[in-house]
This record gives sequence, C-alpha cells and structure tokens, in this order.
Amino acid sequence: MDGISHIVVEVSDLKRGEEFYRLLGFESAGYDRVPECGRNASFRTASGQWLILSENGRPRSLPETGVHQGYRVTPLNRAAIGKKLAACDVFVHTYKEDRPAEESDNFYFFDPDGNRIQLVAPHTTADLSDEFLAIDHAAIECHDLEWAEDFYVNRLGLVVDHRVGWRTEDYVRARIWGEGKEHMAPGTRRWDQRNTVMEQKRRIPRPNTQLFVRAGEGVLGVYLATQHRQEPPEEQIVGTPRIALRTSHRALDQTAKLLTEGRFAIQGPMEHPDSAAIAASLYVRDPGGNFLEICVPR
Amino acid sequence: MADVEGLSHSAICVHDLKEAEDFYCNVLGARLGNRVNFKTDDAVRGRSVHGSVILEDYLLALMVPGDLMPMPPQDQHRGAHGFRHAFRVSRGRFNEIMDALKRRNVRFEGPVDHPEKSPFGQSIYFKDPSGNFLEVLWRRDEEANYRKPYITGVG
Repeated sequence: MDGISHIVVEVSDLKRGEEFYRLLGFESAGYDRVPECGRNASFRTASGQWLILSENGRPRSLPETGVHQGYRVTPLNRAAIGKKLAACDVFVHTYKEDRPAEESDNFYFFDPDGNRIQLVAPHTTADLSDEFLAIDHAAIECHDLEWAEDFYVNRLGLVVDHRVGWRTEDYVRARIWGEGKEHMAPGTRRWDQRNTVMEQKRRIPRPNTQLFVRAGEGVLGVYLATQHRQEPPEEQIVGTPRIALRTSHRALDQTAKLLTEGRFAIQGPMEHPDSAAIAASLYVRDPGGNFLEICVPR
Repeated sequence: MADVEGLSHSAICVHDLKEAEDFYCNVLGARLGNRVNFKTDDAVRGRSVHGSVILEDYLLALMVPGDLMPMPPQDQHRGAHGFRHAFRVSRGRFNEIMDALKRRNVRFEGPVDHPEKSPFGQSIYFKDPSGNFLEVLWRRDEEANYRKPYITGVG
C-alpha cells in the first residue's frame, strides 16, 4: 500500500456538499467517476487523490466520535480558507489530538452534514503553490483495536505510526483534560465510570485508546469505539463511507490472497471500465465494519 | 500450614504496556496473555488498562497506573521496588538471558555466586523498563523433576 487513493464521505445533498468542498479548494472532476459510490460527485486534488461525495439521506458522519478526515494544505492557504469559513459562519475548533505529527495542527470544522474536517499545514508544504491539496489522513472507529492492528499491519502491510492509551503518560495527560485545562478533539478522551462500590462509582478521565497506521504518506487513525453502533449487514462488503488505499496490480492480487486466507470476505479484485477514474479494486471491511477499498490507479 | 494453596499471580505496575510486553516476551521468553481496554466492551465498563504475560507457570499482570511512579536510581540493579520477582531457569537459559540483556543494553548485576550450601547456584539482578526489580537464578538441583506446572493465574 503506498498511500490513500481516495475517500468517500456521505452528504445528504450533493449540490450543497459540492459548494462547501469547493470552498476548501477542491476542484470538481465530474460525476459517478468512481465505481460503487452511489450517486456521487468527485473532486481531484493536486496530489492526484480523489474525494468522493456520495449522496445519502442519512449520512454516517459520526460527528461526536473520533471519525474525521484530514486534508493537507499550505499554511497560507489554510489562513485563506479560515477567512472563507468565517464568512460562512462555520466555526473553527482548535482542539488537539494525541499524534505528535498533528500536535500543532489544531484546525477543525464540520461540513454541513457533520463530517469533521481537519486541515493540516505542515512546514513541508510552506513552499508549495497555494493550489496544493492532499488527503493527509482519515480517522475511523473500531470496537477491537488488537484485531484492527492485526488486520492493518499483518494483512494489509501498513506500519504502526503511533499508539495512544498504552502509557502512564497518556493517563497523566488525560487528567489535565479532565480538569478542564486542555481542549481535546472528540474521540480522544473519555470519562470512564468505575462501577465498584469500593470506588464509589467514581468517574475518571482517560485517554481513548487509538492506533495510527501508515501507508506511504497516508495515515489511518483507528479510534476505539466507546459504544456499540449498528453496523451494516455482515454480507455487505461494499459501501460508503469508505477509504481507499492505493497499490499495484501485483500487490492487489497478493492482498486478495492474504485476506482470503485470513477468512475475510472480499469482493474483487475487479477491473473497472475505461470511464472509471481507477483501474481495478478490491473491497473488504475491516474488523470494525469499516468499508475499505484497495485499488490500482489509472 | 498456611491456608492458601499457592501463589496465583502478581500484578506489577508498568509505565508503558507495549514496552513491558516486549521486555518480558523478548528477554525472559514470556508469552502474551491478554490485554484489557482495547475493546469497546472494556471502555463501556470503564475497566482499567492492563495486560498480562505468562512465564511458564506464572502470570504477571501488567497494570498501567494513572500516575508516574518514582524510579529507583539508574545504577541500582538489585533491590525491592515494593518487591522483587525471582525466576528459576536452567543453566543454559540463564546464559541466554544474560546475552539477551547485553544485546538490549540492559544493565545487570552478576552473575553473583551463592554459597555452596545454598540451593541456588548463581543469580543476576536487573530491572524491567519501569524499574521493577527482577532476579533470574539457576538451582543446583536443576536436574530434579518438579511437578508439571499448572498456571493458576489465568482466569
């Protein structure tokens, strides 16, 4: 896997969604270009990645959780976008996350459908042209992080970038949040209820367990789900919202083999018609029920 | 006779669960037991973060405390930071563990020779990455057949 190829987010109104994402500098690249995304509008970034808006009357954006999408822009452009957002009365949150690489990049807001967006502007982008735009990372939820690690590392070959929740330091920092002294992004912290009589049902601040895995320049943040949610039916392998990782034809077949050996239900690999923006895809769901696509670019 | 049937397990505090698992598994040859708080069910129940490693017949629960613990001085290898665990190994394994410690640049004291009348032959003393004191020793009667271990620390 050498990076994120595209991400599919759900919006309730395609037209309204398109207008909002154009504000961020995304350029329209037509409709229904990427297969298996329902009625959709696609955008192409300067990095050659795709953002797909898929229309769904009840978009699964999970705004109260750690789920979000991170886009990379230049510092100058981020300031300009900030002004545009302010003009549209979009509130920019400045909470923090735990991954050291994002420590200084606390710029978050919601699209009209509750998809949380983070704009990161690392120093490395400072010299790039203002049109520069890339998909930096995507965060999802999973109800079993050990299983998720096994899947992403051993089956898909991603590497661990960062972990949260394993160290005393994480707990010390969570207490600072509990005291109201640090503003943290949704999904990164939680209040745990101790249920023993001995502890008098005390509530304690804790870091929410997180795993970050990397494929090339793309990072996936996997947050522990703090409650069980209804997942799509087990037999549904392809759906939205979805994250697509980029790979080669050869690796696509190898991945299909590894996943089948691991008894993961897959759909594909399949070649797409010439009109599609990508050449071939393999579909699978991660152990948290998140829809994934492994694809070969054109 | 004491009214207990045996020692079931010990719970020790570690500052970094991943680092501790790596240490006990790759230096002492433990196997991973379980981990708690990496599943939604644990989060819903507000369970504390901990894991466990199993050394042959003994289970060490690795608890991640909410506060940083005081660490013993760096150059102190023998002591009882609360307590010390001593693990019995064969002479061959004893040497392997010394090599593993050297490879990882973990400093240790020993091998220390015990008096000839002692049931113990030699010991080495060291600490895990969170400052928990450990000892590894071989017994002079290492040929003796002990009963097959039964792990009573596993729930």
